[in-house]
Amino acid sequence: MDDQGCPRCKTTKYRNPSLKLMVNVCGHTLCENCVEMLFVRGSGNCVQCDTPLRKSNFRVQLFEDPTVDKEVEIRKKVLKIYNKRDFDFPSLKEYNDYLEQVEDIVYNLTNNIDVENTKLRMEQYQWENRDLIQKNKAKLTREQEELEELLLLEQQGNEQRRLEVLQEEQRQLNAKRKNKQALLDELEHSQLPATILLAQHKVRAAQLETQIEQQKQVVKPTNVFSTGIHMRQTVSLQAVPRIEEVMYHYKPLQVETYGPQVPELEQLSRFGYLNHVRAAMPQDTAGGYTSALACHRAIQDAFNGLICSLFY
Amino acid sequence: MFHNSSQRKYWIFKSEDELEHMRRKANQKFRNKILESGKSGVRESVFLERHEEDVLFRHYEKRLLDFCNAFKPAMPKSVVGAAIMYFRRFYLNNSIMEYHPRIIMLTCAYLSCKVDEFNVSSTQFVGNLLQETPAGQERVLEQILEYELLLIQQLNFHLVVHNPYRPMEGFLIDLKTRYPTLENPETLRKNSDDFLTQAAMTDAGLLFPPSQIALTAILNSASRAGLSMESYLTECLALREDKETLSKMYDSMRRMKTLLKKYELPRAEEVNVYKQKLERIHAEFAISSNKRKRGYEEDGHVAKEPRLTEEEWTDEDLI
Repeated sequence: MDDQGCPRCKTTKYRNPSLKLMVNVCGHTLCENCVEMLFVRGSGNCVQCDTPLRKSNFRVQLFEDPTVDKEVEIRKKVLKIYNKRDFDFPSLKEYNDYLEQVEDIVYNLTNNIDVENTKLRMEQYQWENRDLIQKNKAKLTREQEELEELLLLEQQGNEQRRLEVLQEEQRQLNAKRKNKQALLDELEHSQLPATILLAQHKVRAAQLETQIEQQKQVVKPTNVFSTGIHMRQTVSLQAVPRIEEVMYHYKPLQVETYGPQVPELEQLSRFGYLNHVRAAMPQDTAGGYTSALACHRAIQDAFNGLICSLFY
Repeated sequence: MFHNSSQRKYWIFKSEDELEHMRRKANQKFRNKILESGKSGVRESVFLERHEEDVLFRHYEKRLLDFCNAFKPAMPKSVVGAAIMYFRRFYLNNSIMEYHPRIIMLTCAYLSCKVDEFNVSSTQFVGNLLQETPAGQERVLEQILEYELLLIQQLNFHLVVHNPYRPMEGFLIDLKTRYPTLENPETLRKNSDDFLTQAAMTDAGLLFPPSQIALTAILNSASRAGLSMESYLTECLALREDKETLSKMYDSMRRMKTLLKKYELPRAEEVNVYKQKLERIHAEFAISSNKRKRGYEEDGHVAKEPRLTEEEWTDEDLI
């Protein structure tokens, strides 16, 4: 693993664990000490690429690769100008083209390709679209503000809840202390034996405890759902359209068997059919077999298609 | 059940003439095929005539029946009925000159065992060919398996056969329950069974629904015993108000009886003459069977390479 280090003084993270690497717009690193030393006057040139730099533009390097830091910086700058949004375009394709263009610019600037031209392009774009850029900037800030407001509200809510809990605890503590004090007072003044007083105190303490428990259980009814919708707020929903459906009606299966009527399976024994077939053995019935089944099938087969001349 | 079966839809035909027409067409088809194949010196007299074919067909059908009856373990009647029905259906659209009935009949029996859930292993099945050596049985088994797919295809995959045996039982139960006029219906069983066995050897199964065949068997048996059962038809089967249906039913019963009467076992000398002719045809046009195998493979079926020639065993090896 090649250790990160300052290219000027050759210090590495290994030798100096508190080493802070800084990066400027050109994407070359320097350690904090070197920056202090070289840029005493507030500005100077980069040791590696001779780009004029300002001390105030140095940032702590966040990524291992300093070019990433550089790109982040550049992107921030570019997006300040190229701040159009998808609804500023008539079609998705144009928006995508625009994004592609932005990426091109960022890439060029990061990798020092055609820097002059790219910068020119950016300036031209800025000039041509200054109104829109201004408008979008305002919009962005407005959205930002709204978001912050929401966050603030949430924070306030949290704070309030915390305070309430604290107050509640304080009150309970007070109640307990008062109870104890009352016991001491009574022991001091009352004529009753101490055991009775103690017992009374115990009962009262128990009552207090249960009271507290109950209070804890009674959760304060919230009036806001977690989604931020207020309870009892009538959300205007359109009435769900009623779907008219036809109920299913069971129709008994009618089968044309081309033969005389066959008695139902259940009727066989009543009509005495089963007296004329072999009774099922106990071991046959294990699988659900009954003699009626065989009998029914035989009679069905006998009558099925008997009046067959009808169908040819 | 029968009313919505493939048997009712595809394998019940209008008349005996229609069946005869189909068989004639199958015969002609084979002739045309050979003649078109451009073989020199083929005379029309080489082929079997329709009535000659019929004699041989009945001969092999009888052999099939005997084979099934001698089968061990005993074959249920429904299996036998299905086998014979397959045999009949197969030769409705195919000539016995094209596919030798000797192997087709065994294939039919083998298939019907499977379809009707009569569980015999294939080695057990060919073990019933008592005259064969174990090696010979192995050979026959190979051929059976080879022809099995063809048979199923020719049956158009309609494998369920409705036999008249169960309907007959149903009628007997019904008679005992609802027709006290008849004192002992069991006496009718013997003759009815015989009638059904004979009917299986005729075209009755291709012309009438199984329930009608069963009813005819019962009524026939009753009339032989000197009993009239007309009131059973009119009262219990509720055919009284429908005179037309009743007369139609009587008509088909008559047709069935004439079918049975017409049936006679082929004479041995006749059979021998035609059999020689058949063997000659099969020997001469053996290519045609190879053609079948090739066509089979083209269909995407996996056909076993025939390791052995077909004509190594003769009929006398069977049973």
